[in-house]
Amino acid sequence: MSDTPAPDHASRLFRRTLLSVMAMQVATLLLLWLLQIRYTR
Amino acid sequence: MHALDWLIVAVYLVYVLVDGVRRAKGTREIEGYFLANRSLPWWAVGLSVMATQLSAITLIGTTGQGATDGLRFVQFYFGLPLAMVILGVTLVPFLHGARVFTAYEYLERRFDARTRSLTSFLFLVARGMSCGTIIAAPAVVFSAIFGWSLLWGVALMGMPTVIYTMIGGVQAVTWVDVKQMALIVFALIAVMVTLLMQLPVAPDHALALAGAAGRLRAFDFSFDLTNDFTFWSGLVGGTFLMLSYFGTDQSQVQRYITAKSVDQARSSLLMSAYWKIPLQALVLLTGVLVFVFFVFQRPPLLFNPAAEQAVRAAEPAMYGVLDERYGVALRERETAARAVAVARVRGDREAAAASLAAFRAREADVSAAREEALGLARRVTGTSAQDVNYVMPYFVLHFLPVGLIGIFVAAVLAAAMSSIAAELNSLATVTVIDFYRRWVRPEAPDAHYLLVSKAATGFWGLFACVVATFAATLGSLIVVVNRFGSFFYGSILGVFLLAMIPRARATGAFFGLIAGMAAVGVVNFGAPSVSWLWHNVIGAVTVVAVGMTLSARQASPQ
Repeated sequence: MSDTPAPDHASRLFRRTLLSVMAMQVATLLLLWLLQIRYTR
Repeated sequence: MHALDWLIVAVYLVYVLVDGVRRAKGTREIEGYFLANRSLPWWAVGLSVMATQLSAITLIGTTGQGATDGLRFVQFYFGLPLAMVILGVTLVPFLHGARVFTAYEYLERRFDARTRSLTSFLFLVARGMSCGTIIAAPAVVFSAIFGWSLLWGVALMGMPTVIYTMIGGVQAVTWVDVKQMALIVFALIAVMVTLLMQLPVAPDHALALAGAAGRLRAFDFSFDLTNDFTFWSGLVGGTFLMLSYFGTDQSQVQRYITAKSVDQARSSLLMSAYWKIPLQALVLLTGVLVFVFFVFQRPPLLFNPAAEQAVRAAEPAMYGVLDERYGVALRERETAARAVAVARVRGDREAAAASLAAFRAREADVSAAREEALGLARRVTGTSAQDVNYVMPYFVLHFLPVGLIGIFVAAVLAAAMSSIAAELNSLATVTVIDFYRRWVRPEAPDAHYLLVSKAATGFWGLFACVVATFAATLGSLIVVVNRFGSFFYGSILGVFLLAMIPRARATGAFFGLIAGMAAVGVVNFGAPSVSWLWHNVIGAVTVVAVGMTLSARQASPQ
């Protein structure tokens, strides 16, 4: 069995990671924004 | 520190050393020593990328920044995810597919030997110096807190790191980074939980106090070129800086070219992009909670114990008056803070608003007394008295439980060592591949290059330790080195951008690089108020513009 994953599996891994990266950034920025508008007077 | 804390630190140091050294197997050739035979899994490479970028000063300085300045520093990282995505589809396939040892090796294939040698020389100068400052910054804090000589602090971080990096190569660097990253995250979460448990008010009230003091302002949308941390400087300047750092700096490039494939290499970068902003927000939020903690516990007027002693000795009367004023302001601030919590619990909105206004006014009094004390310390010591790096160590040593202190100190050491190890490994790689093998001994057996590589790692370790002792005593050298580094980053990125443009020529790349650095120099000295984050944009754009103009002239018939 080879250690190197097949290209389609690797591309799927990249696309999935990319989507989760974007979701995480949006969630974090939204959280920071909510903290700012809720508590900063 | 308690004996148990020292034991934890000692166990950590021994473990790291043993774990690093045992990774030496499989490094009998330089491909294994510098690139781990391109066999590392993406998640390990991703954690290594993160550990390399997270230095000791992130743990002690950024938390301090959160306590004194709030969340706004997080904007500095807004460009990072974007930069990682751009690199994932542009430079990473180029560099991984080119089967190179260093990023600069690729420049010779694309342009010529002089462009490769100039960029790799700039890397050696900038990184060699910055490696020293990475050791110096926490060593200065350790020496002030524990009363050690500076050499002790430098040796404690430098010696084990040099040994395991020298013997184990990139395998040691990466696998030790993975464990160090786990330790750092564990320590941060443990400190955060402890802080929340020790606060006398509920987290919601604590955040209200932090917000009233301006500590939760994470976004600044003003377009101010002189302000270091705005949304726009972070997004635009930060993207260029991160593109340059992760795309062209060998200490980062060498992490992801060890991955098994192009997709694994870019997935490792995306993993770093995934965690970077949340992790920095966590670090800063820990600092913000430390600020709230000190609303209810008396903090010292000056957090740097060495500076406080000097001021007490030189100006006892003036310091006494200031300390008295500070104490009164602190008590009034605490009273107002407790009134805020009581009003919020009762649901009395008017009383809560009035208490928050009183809290803000008392917070201004506390800050004014601190500013005067810092000014006094600056006059007495003759150096910058900013004590932001001492806030977190003061909190850790005075208020964390036994055991957790040791874990936090070990995490600070881990953060420093992971950055130093990656830099030493990359400095050795560039020295051997771009200079020794290119210009001195082009044909030699692998065993010879391996020996020279280990010697080069040892040399750069020694060099960094020597720079660290000077950087610490000269103080402002840290600022000088950072500004010095920002001369190159954007320009080097510009050369790599040119490399991806088919019409770009070697002469354009070489003189474009020089023009880019000159342009940054003109802005740096001619308009010093322009924030250094913009230097990266200016350098990269100038290199591409000049490089393409010269390439077009070269290509067109005369």
